[in-house]
Amino acid sequence: MTHIIEIHQLQVKLQQKTILSDISFGLEAGDILGLVGPSGCGKTTLLNTLAGFIEQEAGSISIGDSTLITKDNLLPPEQRNVGMIFQDYALFPHLSVEKNIGFGIDKLDKASKDARISELLDLLELKGFEQRYPHQLSGGQQQRVAIARALAPQPQVLLLDEPFSNIDARLRNELMIEIRQLLKSLNMTAIFVTHNKDEVFTFADKVAVMYQGKLLQIGSPVHVSQHPNSWQVADFLQLGSWLPFKRKENQIETALGYIELDSLSQLTSHEQDPNVKTCENNDFNNNKQVMLIKPKDVKVDVDAKANVVVNHIGITEQGYHYLVSSIENSEELHVKRLSFYHEQVFELGQELSICIKPHQYLAF
Amino acid sequence: MISGNRSKAWRIISWVIASVLILPIFIMLGSGLSATTELFSHLWDTVLPTYVLNTLSLALIVAILSSLFGVTCAALITQTNIKAKNTLRWLLMLPLAMPAYLVAYLYTDLFDYAGPVQRFLRTTFNWNSPNDYWFFDIRTLFGAGVVISLVLFPYIYMLTRTAFEQQDQNLHRASRLLGLTTFQSFYKVGLPLARPAIVIAISLVLMETLADFATVQYFAVNTLTTAVYDTWLGYGDLSTANALASLLMLMVFLVVLFEQKARMNQRHQSNRPITSSHEIILTLPQQILASVFCWSLVILGFLLPLGLLVLMAIEYASLEQIDELVSTGFNSIELAVYTATIATIIALVLVLYKRLHKDKLKALPINVSGFGYAIPGTVLAMAMLATFGPLDNYINDLAANVGIEEPGLILSGTIFAIVFAFVVRFSAIANGTISGGVEQISASIDLAPPSLGVGRLKGILTVHIPLLKSSIFIAWLLVFVEAMKELPAVLLLRPFNFDTLSTQIYQLISDERLEQGAIGAILIVAFGLIPIIWLNRNEDKA
Repeated sequence: MTHIIEIHQLQVKLQQKTILSDISFGLEAGDILGLVGPSGCGKTTLLNTLAGFIEQEAGSISIGDSTLITKDNLLPPEQRNVGMIFQDYALFPHLSVEKNIGFGIDKLDKASKDARISELLDLLELKGFEQRYPHQLSGGQQQRVAIARALAPQPQVLLLDEPFSNIDARLRNELMIEIRQLLKSLNMTAIFVTHNKDEVFTFADKVAVMYQGKLLQIGSPVHVSQHPNSWQVADFLQLGSWLPFKRKENQIETALGYIELDSLSQLTSHEQDPNVKTCENNDFNNNKQVMLIKPKDVKVDVDAKANVVVNHIGITEQGYHYLVSSIENSEELHVKRLSFYHEQVFELGQELSICIKPHQYLAF
Repeated sequence: MISGNRSKAWRIISWVIASVLILPIFIMLGSGLSATTELFSHLWDTVLPTYVLNTLSLALIVAILSSLFGVTCAALITQTNIKAKNTLRWLLMLPLAMPAYLVAYLYTDLFDYAGPVQRFLRTTFNWNSPNDYWFFDIRTLFGAGVVISLVLFPYIYMLTRTAFEQQDQNLHRASRLLGLTTFQSFYKVGLPLARPAIVIAISLVLMETLADFATVQYFAVNTLTTAVYDTWLGYGDLSTANALASLLMLMVFLVVLFEQKARMNQRHQSNRPITSSHEIILTLPQQILASVFCWSLVILGFLLPLGLLVLMAIEYASLEQIDELVSTGFNSIELAVYTATIATIIALVLVLYKRLHKDKLKALPINVSGFGYAIPGTVLAMAMLATFGPLDNYINDLAANVGIEEPGLILSGTIFAIVFAFVVRFSAIANGTISGGVEQISASIDLAPPSLGVGRLKGILTVHIPLLKSSIFIAWLLVFVEAMKELPAVLLLRPFNFDTLSTQIYQLISDERLEQGAIGAILIVAFGLIPIIWLNRNEDKA
């Protein structure tokens, strides 16, 4: 299958500062891609560059079969055939729902324009609201109008900037599923930006994790969460806690005790990308290796010698959520915060013994 | 975001507009400053020290009196339980509508030797001559300061009141919890926080004071403004007039710097309004004193002058007067319509340039074009003469050389120069109003039309212009009103036999027969009320 949108080595500079560099990926028709990353990582800039609101410095964007956008051939936004749902929806406050939806299809003759509007009103369950103005609608209705308006000119790609950030938390999940079904039924290719990892897992077919203007990893949510290729990916997606370790052949020393490896390949090591700077206020420095410990791999072993102390207890649907720190005071191996869930009630300050279930260990 | 050639054209137009608006000032400064040291030293030896001293003294008197009036009223209205607060609140703004020169004339009439007040005193106390008693003379530098302060203090009142009202209520709560009384809390927290706003307001008042011409002229107080006027119209000495105007310009520039500095200090303001629980409760004597203070300002600054005008109008109104009023009124309206329309279009172009383009210096054209607001009408008029006079000569020479009929002073001798000066002076009002409107539009609205395949120009016509409709109307109206009222620039630039409402009133005042123009004067005051009503209405909405 050919890609409906293909981005090749895209680079963007704003005021001489490189905001995006070497971004490459492609999407097939009907793919829904979630762009995630910490704030300032460039995800909204990428969206705006695709839409044509920001000029690229190098690289190319191709949309559909015929449109190739390069630095020398910068198509203005209105000629890109890309639709956008803005974070605040950007509905025209002086136009009715009907006129908002029809705004981008003036080129059609009256009959086909009316037919298209009516089709979209049906599709988004907005019948009866044609004559209302945006301020007379609820947040969810406004979003549906914004979607209808963006879909009206039949764009090749739909861009969504934090589409669910203005929606009531209780309704959000339901709405995500609804809109996902709609986009799927139209086979619409979409890229959306979010800083909420739960939205990615509910809404997206693919997830792209960005960090400091670079694309770290792209793939299906399941693949990315099982095989994060860098600690930033694992960290942003909150896949687990970080456990510092020292390795001697088949033996790994941690604050929780020794772990024996069955084979050398049971530990997958990822080299730190030298181009990505690490922040100073985390557990990483160049001499220290850490492994990712997912909550499900932590086992409480009541009989053994205590190695951690309980610092925080939370109540969740998955049982009690505990944050513990290691008792061992070796500065090198000390773990400040390890997270896991357990059915049993422990007390704050209680000392416990935990161990790591044998699995394919991921080290960074 | 606007792409291609249209974007380039828009950029060029914006920069050209801004340059054309500011260019005459530079030409005047150039000709004024190159007017040689010889001329200047002559001026310095003769009249200049007096002019400068008078100008500075006037500025000082007005600054002190108007802040005394303005800040006190603002404090009383916002911080105390003064009676009739809600009425006084807007009444105190009304003096802004009253031109200072009208008050000057009316009070001279009222308080001079032959006026009703002194006549009454003489008959009551059986005094026969000026030697029998002392009575103040209003036609002095100090009198001019008082009159100007009486009509300009509302600027300070308005801005200070807003500053007080927008202070974070929690700051006052905190200071009360730390043991301060309401009065101490106002003095130690409220007043210091409002200081930048007060400074900004004072600089606005100073700009207006430096621009005043008719009041000081009528009181025969020689300031730089009257000197420019006399030097040009009296002696026909353009370069000296330019030099004096340049000096005045320099003073204004200092005030502008002062204002910019104060603006930088303006702190974050909150919209948790102060509630009545923080009111200072006045004792009965305090209540009486406070009420007398506020009501005196309302009466002296507005109600009394208006009353006098109405009495005059009733007594002296005639058909003849109304005829004349219609013809000069038509001239005023013509000027004001041109000015308002041009200024509004320029503001739209520059505001949208700033909003929709990504150039680094995109804000410069609008800032440059707004600078004219600080420039006194007299200075602007000199700038027009310095620029368009030579240009007219050049055009006429050219015509003579080519052999066609010389067109005469088509630029400097027609209403072209007046409208040009007005547009420079009042652009800032249109810019500010339309900028305010644009800021209400969410930034993503700019991006929506292109994301729907609609071109930029069409987007502006179908989205931005309709959304800005009311701002455009208000901008037009406010400029229209200011143009109706402006006097000094017209006096210097008007073509022969061309009178506007304000020049006619001024002429009648000079001839000591305002009675015959009382209706026109009331009309000018009525126009002045329009922006105040608008300001009040805006505030109610907020």
